[in-house]
Amino acid sequence: MLPKDEKFVFPDLFPENKAAKEEEETTLNQAKKGLQEFLEKNKERPNMPGCKFTVTMRVTFCTDLDKSVVVANCEKRGWMHVGPEDDWNIYWAGTQTCRSLFSVDSGYRMHDNQLINHFPNHYEISRKDLLVKNIKRYRRDLEKEGNVLAERGDSKYLHLDFIPVTFVLPADYNMFVEEYRKAPQSTWIMKPCGRSQGSGIFLINKLSKLKRWSRESKSPFQQQLTKESYVISKYIDNPLLIGGKKFDLRLYVLVTSFRPLKAYQFRLGFCRFCTVKYDSSVAELDNMYVHLTNVSVQKHGGEYNSMHGGKLSVQNLRLHLESTRGKQVTERLFDQISWLIIHSLKAVAPVIATDRHCFECYGYDIIIDNKLKPWLIEVNASPSLTSTTANDRILKHKLMDNIFSIIVPPSGMPDVRWNKIPSQEALGDFELLIDEDLIHLHEGENSSFLSKNNRWK
Amino acid sequence: MDDIKDKSIHHTAIKICEDFKSSPSYQALFRDLQKLVSTPSVKYDDFKDSLLKAMKDNGLDAGLRNNVYHWMKTKKKEIACPHDTFFRKSQIHWDKRIHKSLNSMCTELGINLAKVRTVSEKEELANKWGELSNYEVDIHKYRPVYAPKDFLEVLLNLKGPTTRNKGSPKWEFAQMPLKVKNLADLRCLYLELSRGEQILGINSSMLSSTHYSALEAERMILGEKVLTKNYAPIAQEFLKKGCPQCLRAKIWTLILGAEVKPYHYSYFESLKESVLQYDLMIDKLIIKDINLTASNDDQYFVFEDVLYQVLLCFSRDGDVLKDLSTQPGFMQVVIKGKQSNTENTIIFPPSGVIPFHGFTMYAAPFCYLYDDPVQLYFVFRTFYVRYFHRLHRVCGNPQGVVSLCLQYEKMLQCFEPSLWHHFRKCQIHPVRVVIKWIMRAFSGHLPPEQLLNLWDLILAYDSLEIIPLLALVILVFRKDNLLKVNTLQNIEAVLADLSSISVIPLLQMSLLKD
Repeated sequence: MLPKDEKFVFPDLFPENKAAKEEEETTLNQAKKGLQEFLEKNKERPNMPGCKFTVTMRVTFCTDLDKSVVVANCEKRGWMHVGPEDDWNIYWAGTQTCRSLFSVDSGYRMHDNQLINHFPNHYEISRKDLLVKNIKRYRRDLEKEGNVLAERGDSKYLHLDFIPVTFVLPADYNMFVEEYRKAPQSTWIMKPCGRSQGSGIFLINKLSKLKRWSRESKSPFQQQLTKESYVISKYIDNPLLIGGKKFDLRLYVLVTSFRPLKAYQFRLGFCRFCTVKYDSSVAELDNMYVHLTNVSVQKHGGEYNSMHGGKLSVQNLRLHLESTRGKQVTERLFDQISWLIIHSLKAVAPVIATDRHCFECYGYDIIIDNKLKPWLIEVNASPSLTSTTANDRILKHKLMDNIFSIIVPPSGMPDVRWNKIPSQEALGDFELLIDEDLIHLHEGENSSFLSKNNRWK
Repeated sequence: MDDIKDKSIHHTAIKICEDFKSSPSYQALFRDLQKLVSTPSVKYDDFKDSLLKAMKDNGLDAGLRNNVYHWMKTKKKEIACPHDTFFRKSQIHWDKRIHKSLNSMCTELGINLAKVRTVSEKEELANKWGELSNYEVDIHKYRPVYAPKDFLEVLLNLKGPTTRNKGSPKWEFAQMPLKVKNLADLRCLYLELSRGEQILGINSSMLSSTHYSALEAERMILGEKVLTKNYAPIAQEFLKKGCPQCLRAKIWTLILGAEVKPYHYSYFESLKESVLQYDLMIDKLIIKDINLTASNDDQYFVFEDVLYQVLLCFSRDGDVLKDLSTQPGFMQVVIKGKQSNTENTIIFPPSGVIPFHGFTMYAAPFCYLYDDPVQLYFVFRTFYVRYFHRLHRVCGNPQGVVSLCLQYEKMLQCFEPSLWHHFRKCQIHPVRVVIKWIMRAFSGHLPPEQLLNLWDLILAYDSLEIIPLLALVILVFRKDNLLKVNTLQNIEAVLADLSSISVIPLLQMSLLKD
């Protein structure tokens, strides 16, 4: 083959067409100029269809939480604060407001440029009893499929054993007793299903104590209590201790869609420490300052310190674990945490009413045991945005900022028609946990990529 | 000449042997050697060579070498400074002031420096040993004996050993006739940094992350090898290019010679026993300092309980006083209610170290590395005896706080004259804004991860001179903001939050040759 000559110009073989070509070009230029003038004139009316330049319409937001962190973040973005009756684009609502908005009676229909911070039936994940029910069902379904994930060894699930053994009371009472008899003397923790912040929680280590409780709660004075259902879980009595104290992890997870599942994990989180040294002895069974890490519980303890609020950053936990236990086990722990988050979300994905207007930020509570195995304790659909310390405020500001960056498309205007694939820069301190759209995308074109980057499938 | 050199080596060898024979690790080594000699690998007719070979094969050789290395690091004589007498006098004067202040605090509070704890007091303390944060003791009237800013006043008021003009402004260290390193010297010392070699601890965002994890993996493999060699100088060399987090605890222990043996546990136990037996006034000062610092710090509060143990035991440790090259002044105190004779007189405090505000921070970062309080204790103690004690002493040593302040001041004047003039215009002494960083070796100011990177460098190059350099670099890094403010308060505000500082990249940038 001949070498290519870059300077070579193909001779014009049809000179008669030149005139026609020139004419065409002039017409085109005139048309362009006309359009320019037209656009120039209509600058004041930016909503004209077909108009090319970006419309600077202000995003509006609404919130019924009196949280400065929400308002400050929205205002920083130049969004306008409006009331719930006005035309809002983003609503940061309490779960109650959200539920009534979605209820049939409200008759409210959202348009394409509206987003709201809860899924209609978020309680499928945030209620203790429903979460357990969904995870149990998920495991059963996988088992029926013959999926390797549901593999068992020694009657336990090998890969999906990330919640403590749990029963709903009074419904599963007999099943509980059967399990209890396998290991009497073990400690169990009772939690009311619908309550939060550690209220109504107590520990039991004898069946008789449970019986007495159930008798007492049926007394006429406590009619209220009988209606309440409880979950009873095997107590993690060998928690990992740091400085002799028990802690749990609070991690944040953003879900922008359940089907397909799109979830992001926030890199910054914290450990919440008990103020009192851990003691698993029976004498301390009723001392909730020893056992519960909830800030709302610990705050009432005499030892509570408002400078640090009992909170240690996850980065520092990692530093300590890597230094004292090694890199490999620490990495495995954090991988297992991501694993349990993904599977808890997959477990509820089929039952969540999927709505393209919704996104949700979950607060995951995880306890690590002394073998460095993480256990999912519960999921909160409205994690506290109140800041107890200066660092807390910084963290929550970042969290809000990053959430908004992810849920709002590059155009700046919320839009449910967007494919919800944010750019790497928009993620901020969030890390992609799973995006089933991306998985399908890559499945088609590159299977080796899949094996490397998608260990969660 | 060679002859003299030989002789001095010979003398050092004798000294090392003497010291080693009296050290607690000697017994164990001697036993191991005896066992070795009785094995067939040591031959009678070729005793010396076969023994040396057998020692090498069994790792006893490295142990012995490490002992010599650690002896050289801790026991070597203070480098004579031409103005030693001047500095020693100043320090004695300062010690006297501290002791006077302790005594007057005692009079004011109506307590004694030292007394024996009652049985019930002892019992209570012993019961709460594991969670001393719940040990109730009224300390609200106690004040730290001195804070970094008080110590700065002492330094600034040092009347130089050489006469100086009466009219000259008294706000710089420049009159101190000490030789300190300039940037060129530092570039020579911190060769790995100034050559721009890849050092672990650089923000992973700066390198592509796969590249960084490859570097980390490589360092981990090398680090493991270094640890199996078990030879301290190699570990020190390894540290120059940064340490993977998971190996730091072991590498530091090796370099510092702080492996704990059974006798370390019994030694620590005896220190604890001394804490339980005697109620020293200094205990309250220690508790107060932990209360004022670590207990309120969101990086360290979880380690509060272990810090009480470590620091209380530290105050009872007579070996500290013995090993400190800058013999601090100490008091001799008669225990309350006892007859004044030698039996009832104790050195107060037994360690000779009186904590200043923030002293806890010397120990706190080690909590991230060691779970075992005893292991933590000995690493911290060695680190203190080797380095930190010079950060709150008046001395002319090149590693002492006076030299470090001077080094910082000279570099600021030389490389950032605009900042220098700005400080001068505002009538703020440039050392004033960095003294607490220097005195605490940045502990409590940098986030733990960054701080450990910095302390890696202290150990790796066996020098504190990295600290004034970092102080300077941070000022330069925030220069634009500093130039905008004029008051001490605002300057301190600009420098208050160091959470965004990445130690290694900043230092490397400043040391890189143009």
